[in-house]
Amino acid sequence: MSSQETDAEKNIEIWKIKKLIKSLEMARGNGTSMISLVLPPKAQISLTQKMLTDEYGTASNIKSRVNRLSVLSAITSTQQKLKLYNSVPKNGLVVYCGDVITDEGKEKKLNIDFEPFKPINTSLYLCDNKFHVEALNELLENDDRFGFIIMDGNGALFGAVSGNTREVLHKFTVDLPKKHGRGGQSAVRFSRLREEKRHNYVRKVAEVAVQNFITADKVNVKGLILAGSADFKTELSKSDLFDNRLQAKIIKIVDISYGGENGFNQAIELSAETLANVKFVQEKKLLNQYFDEISQDTGKFCYGIEDTLKALDLGACETVIVYENLNTVRYTMKDIEGEEVVANVNPELPDKSWQLDKKTGTEMEIIKEESFLEWLAENYKNYGAELEFVTDRSSEGAQFCQGFGGIGAMLRYKVNFEQLADESDEDEYYDDDDDDFI
Amino acid sequence: MVAPPVATTPSGNLQSSESLAKEQEDEVDEEVVNDMFGGKDHVSIIFMGHVDAGKSTMGGNILYLTGSVDKRTVEKYEREAKDAGRQGWYLSWVMDTNKEERNDGKTIEVGKAYFETDKRRYTILDAPGHKMYVSEMIGGASQADVGILVISARKGEYETGFEKGGQTREHALLAKTQGVNKIIVVVNKMDDPTVDWSEERYNECTTKLGLFLKGIGYNKDDIVYMPVSGYTGAGLKDRVDPKVCPWYSGPALLEYLDNMEHLNRKINGHFMLPISGKMKDMGTVVEGKIESGHIRKNGNLLLMPNKTSVEVLTIYNETEQECDVAYSGEQVRLRLKGVEEEDLQPGYVLTSPQFPVKTVTKFEAQIAIVELKSILSNGFSCVMHLHTAIEEVKFVELKHKLEKGTNRKSKKPPAFAKKGMKIIAVLEVNELICAETYNNYPQLGRFTLRDQGTTIAIGKITKLL
Repeated sequence: MSSQETDAEKNIEIWKIKKLIKSLEMARGNGTSMISLVLPPKAQISLTQKMLTDEYGTASNIKSRVNRLSVLSAITSTQQKLKLYNSVPKNGLVVYCGDVITDEGKEKKLNIDFEPFKPINTSLYLCDNKFHVEALNELLENDDRFGFIIMDGNGALFGAVSGNTREVLHKFTVDLPKKHGRGGQSAVRFSRLREEKRHNYVRKVAEVAVQNFITADKVNVKGLILAGSADFKTELSKSDLFDNRLQAKIIKIVDISYGGENGFNQAIELSAETLANVKFVQEKKLLNQYFDEISQDTGKFCYGIEDTLKALDLGACETVIVYENLNTVRYTMKDIEGEEVVANVNPELPDKSWQLDKKTGTEMEIIKEESFLEWLAENYKNYGAELEFVTDRSSEGAQFCQGFGGIGAMLRYKVNFEQLADESDEDEYYDDDDDDFI
Repeated sequence: MVAPPVATTPSGNLQSSESLAKEQEDEVDEEVVNDMFGGKDHVSIIFMGHVDAGKSTMGGNILYLTGSVDKRTVEKYEREAKDAGRQGWYLSWVMDTNKEERNDGKTIEVGKAYFETDKRRYTILDAPGHKMYVSEMIGGASQADVGILVISARKGEYETGFEKGGQTREHALLAKTQGVNKIIVVVNKMDDPTVDWSEERYNECTTKLGLFLKGIGYNKDDIVYMPVSGYTGAGLKDRVDPKVCPWYSGPALLEYLDNMEHLNRKINGHFMLPISGKMKDMGTVVEGKIESGHIRKNGNLLLMPNKTSVEVLTIYNETEQECDVAYSGEQVRLRLKGVEEEDLQPGYVLTSPQFPVKTVTKFEAQIAIVELKSILSNGFSCVMHLHTAIEEVKFVELKHKLEKGTNRKSKKPPAFAKKGMKIIAVLEVNELICAETYNNYPQLGRFTLRDQGTTIAIGKITKLL
């Protein structure tokens, strides 16, 4: 149980970092005044301090006055930040300092220091007009990567699954001669042509596999899964044309009924056991569990922001599932009597009626505006729930985001929501009479 | 014989343009058509059923019995099969021509063969029974007029084929959704020692299946049962010897097919041919079944959805012979001018230039969910089989659910749909597809949705968006 809890917490940590990276990536500054500093676990603070002092000396020679001043101030703030630490924390240290130009064109000082959630193995010091977050991005993707080759009679698809991403690396189609009608005299010739085409196809797939899964003479995936209908995949796995290094990495061969994207999805599904500790598969599993609750109609589920909040208030939520890019904003407003009203809405929607006071119809004053997700990440523990973030990259995830509004929860016990109670309002006749199948 | 529509109705404009186009597309007298080929019309039949039910063997045996494969070839196969240690399989080798298919004894691709009886011309489509290749089978079913559901009566085989996960059910359902409205259930392997032409076993096999077939919408008149043995050939061409099987006195398979009533062909409809295959053979050659209309050599057609106009250089009929004109219902190959082989793919449709088929990426459809592990909602994606096209499709919006029994639309859109529900939803595909509403052209308006190797839903297009 405890390991599960830390898992969930780790996920939230990851989500927070992701948010941070996104905001840092967007930030732009003047000249070369944005400092990115990454220290690996065993680096020494004092050495870095010395380096910064040297940099300070160099920077004071910058000709442009504006640039010089901002660089100098950024270096100073970096030094100040470092002073807060006696030694580098056990996972390393990341510092970002600089003057960011905001949307309104004003300058704003941004100083961030934090310890990453897992050891960072990079050493970086850069002054640029933007923050460098590649090292952090790497951290997020550092999960095991698995390669997929989906191969059928119509074409081949090369994909990879790592962390919670699923990507298609390459795909191409082929035209193989189909089974020929009883060809008469040329039957032998046709079958020979066919064999030849099939052989060439296997060769091509083998070659493209090398291009995709071998970089700098090394296999860039932890395992390789071959999938396809008919015999192509086994043919490929046994073929001499298939690179030995890749052959050694084959961990599973699965049967699928379609090629292309759908085949890719099915292959992931079928190799779920092998990929059990990949985030992407865990996410699918979680959502499937949630969908199962719905399909069995246990009543121990809810979806939509309102129901979920109600369930949270009741303390009924076991696990809250949210889409990681849910753009709902939590507004805290003050109505005419000075009471606080909370509304969770998507600010992009044209409907602004939530701003109006129900009693008087006047617009309320917004006193606080924060991302709903942040609020949830801060407060979910108060409701005794667990929080899980999902993406929309898996097919389940896409359904969850589009069909269920990107938020839902599995409940501990049945809750009767008012909305679900009225199912009796079906009285519009469907006047199509050609119901000839089913 | 068929009089062109006379513009008597007030909507004159539309009528006149239609009749003008009709004049351009020369009318064919149906009697003339009937006179051709010695008055034999063409029927496509598809063999379907669970793995190892004996579909290919039966197909092979029919070809042998009707003399479409010469004896020498069959004897050669018999020898080869014996050498390969696959004695019982020689008949299926007539249909299964690939090495892989012969090695495993299982059909992978839909096999096509042609034979002729005294009364009719037939194209056999031999569908693979294996679960993995159901997608192939759907393509075959879309070209068939009559389905032959092969059931193995052998002990244990019938049970596995019919139970959940067996392909007997799935094939029957798919055939129905692909427009195969007539089904002949042949109970095969009656000669097997475990069966030995037992009436009891025959009845056991047919009663349960009958209920199921009725359940998926086949009328009682559209289902015919007969006991056969595909391997020995009993009950295929000639009736079963009454000494062996005294309780069955109905017709043999071919006898029944020959005497079946004529199918309604829309010979003077707008030309439409969904492409099921293509190849390069001194030009671009496409194959498929003409769904409606007719085509003459050197006729002009439009290839949809690319809107390429093409000319028909040669028409080959089922026997690979050149002919001048082909009619609805026939399986043909057309050599085309004006399009490269790379620019077309199965699922494209050849239509008459005056009345091109519609192309869409988004449409509204009525969908019945037959098998689903959990639920589906907006954003669900799966594979759609529409005539010969196979496309990935995504649910964009669930609009209504239909009440069971009464089919009343719900006012609120459902948040999700699960097994057994009927819904109305908007679907979207990535690329343009040729489609029509079910009411206008049933063949181009019904589809099957599949995911993870199972058929999850069937549906019909109600509106093109």
